[in-house]
Amino acid sequence: MASGMRAANLTLLRRLLLLVLLMFGFAWGLVPLYRVICEVTGLNRVVVADAMPGRDGAQVAARPVVLQLDAMVQPGLPWQVRPLQSRLQVKTGQFIQLQYELRNNSRQQVVGQAIPRYLPAEAAAYVKKLECFCFRQQVFLPGETRRFPVVLVIDRTLPAAIDSITLSYSVFDVPQGEGRP
Amino acid sequence: MAIAGLAAVPQQSHRPHGWRRWLFATNHKDIGSLYLWFAFCMFLVGGVLALCIRAELFRPGLQFFQPELFNQLTTLHGLIMVFGAIMPAFTGLANWMLPLMIGAPDMAFARMNNWSFWLLPPAMALLLLSFVVPGGAAAAGWTLYAPLSVQLGMGMDLTIFAIHILGVSSIMGAINIVVTIINLRAPGMGMMKMPMFAWASLITAYLIIAVMPVLAGAVTMVLTDRHFGTHFFNAAGGGDPILYQHVFWFFGHPEVYIMALPAFGIVSQVIPTFARKPLFGYTSMVYATSSIGVLSFMVWAHHMFVTGMPATAQLFFMYATMLIAVPTGVKVFNWIATMWEGSMSFETPMLFAIGFILLFTIGGLSGVTLSVAAVDVQLHGSYYVVAHFHYVLVAGALFSLFSAVYYWFPKMTGRMYVERLGQLHFWWSLLWFNVTFFPMHFLGLAGMPRRIPDYALQFTQFNQIASVGAFMFGLGQLIFLVNILYSLSHGKTAAQQPWEGGNTLEWRLPTPAPYHSFSEAPQLDVAENGVVVAMQGGKHG
Repeated sequence: MASGMRAANLTLLRRLLLLVLLMFGFAWGLVPLYRVICEVTGLNRVVVADAMPGRDGAQVAARPVVLQLDAMVQPGLPWQVRPLQSRLQVKTGQFIQLQYELRNNSRQQVVGQAIPRYLPAEAAAYVKKLECFCFRQQVFLPGETRRFPVVLVIDRTLPAAIDSITLSYSVFDVPQGEGRP
Repeated sequence: MAIAGLAAVPQQSHRPHGWRRWLFATNHKDIGSLYLWFAFCMFLVGGVLALCIRAELFRPGLQFFQPELFNQLTTLHGLIMVFGAIMPAFTGLANWMLPLMIGAPDMAFARMNNWSFWLLPPAMALLLLSFVVPGGAAAAGWTLYAPLSVQLGMGMDLTIFAIHILGVSSIMGAINIVVTIINLRAPGMGMMKMPMFAWASLITAYLIIAVMPVLAGAVTMVLTDRHFGTHFFNAAGGGDPILYQHVFWFFGHPEVYIMALPAFGIVSQVIPTFARKPLFGYTSMVYATSSIGVLSFMVWAHHMFVTGMPATAQLFFMYATMLIAVPTGVKVFNWIATMWEGSMSFETPMLFAIGFILLFTIGGLSGVTLSVAAVDVQLHGSYYVVAHFHYVLVAGALFSLFSAVYYWFPKMTGRMYVERLGQLHFWWSLLWFNVTFFPMHFLGLAGMPRRIPDYALQFTQFNQIASVGAFMFGLGQLIFLVNILYSLSHGKTAAQQPWEGGNTLEWRLPTPAPYHSFSEAPQLDVAENGVVVAMQGGKHG
């Protein structure tokens, strides 16, 4: 009787341990699950593919907008980032070219990723970047300085309430970035 | 499934002495006592941390602690109270009382039981040790939110390892409880007959088994983010700090019920005893407890209303959270209906149980308030939340634990506690608990954020009231300690049935409960909630 009980206890023990393992796996499974849910629902979508240039924009007249440029670096990182002009008077629908200078102040090769941010945030959907150093991770040799062109167009359908847009880049370190030796 | 007789229990009269009795303990009563004493020590440690917090908050400005250390105090206070005091205390009570209440000879896995206790002290030592390492203890709040937890010093690593060990400990304890309840009930002790405390412990144990591995997963991800170059929670590397909150609260919300359900079980034993009436609506109690357990997995994101969730998700989690108030309301109704027209007497366990119902309901109502997403956006991270969860954890979990210790003390020790001191302990705790935590509702409504060492001047008065209350409440717990220590050696000898209305199985045992009980399972005729109608056989020793 006692040994039968022992066997029953061990069977239940094994089932419960299996449940423990499953739930531990579930915690890790939440990582891809979260990504899929965010993709399906469109949450967290930073990059949205543009539709073909709409014709509705063509009817709207170009109008002047102030474009302010800024940059920041996460504390403790060896980057120096600055726009060559900090304020531009531009027009919607116009191709705008501007330049950023990035410098690696450290003695190591570093890999960085710039993330653009817009103020006001609603303006983000109307600024179409054609060329940007933020499209990929950038590898910098020790002490290297490089200038990057940024080409963008501000959509003519920009709401009338927005007459000034600030474009700010944050540069993050990519510890295991591409191109690291 | 129940057993007919477990005649061949090895080492029947084996009883080691001295330190071996405790270090190599396999007896459920010894391990239960270890758990309870350990939990009480950790309650004092966590309480001292709380008093440090209240001392700093007595006045605006920085008096005693710099903000870094203050954050460590709030973090460790939470972690120690949750994982070191409340959870071990409930596991200890389950260890002590479950075999007696369902007629089992011991817990199912005696040596694993030993391990689950002895993993606790090293884990808590790691946590406390982290105060003295460079950078200090973890300071990200007990929730250990990323990215803060990814950036902190090595105290965070110690905390992560401590949580791993605590997780293993509580999972082993929970497995023991499940197997004991499912397999070792005496003949006649059917599942729909067994005491509510057994039901609550069973469902709690299942919750622990299901969610502690999720917490282990979450802190492991933090660990690999910190040291092994992963980017689970680092936005720059393609990760997402919000993901941490989802994983954490998938554990965290069931954890809330891990600390509440056993309290429901205790109160469901104590109230019928002192109302001298059977528990009202036993079956609905079982289903209410189960549905709280199931629902607890579906509401986690109500802790995250301000993270920018879509309105649809907010509505889902809001309604699901409100839904939990229904089974909880059923339970509160049943307890009150049990007392209705009962022949009540107000010994200390009953006082704490009634105090529990009153204050837990207040905490439950502030919980329903917080569940409204539109309101939560205002109250999130404020002292209102602090008030809410201390009403359900201190007046809920802790009061029920006091009730349980006073209730079963005679059966455990063979002696009565000092009733006058017990009553003093209750009224003292009731008064100063409310003085401490009720003003926090007002502070939260007025906008005082939690986890800050300094505050705007207009919050001063309520903070001073709360601080005075906290010190008096803390002092009052020494009454409990004195009562227990005195009664252990000098208490009056207790009768086998110290409570007139106590009619569950544990009161059929001699007092104090013999070291080896039910070595031969009794034949039982049991009514609902474990009320023993008739018992045959059942040997001890």
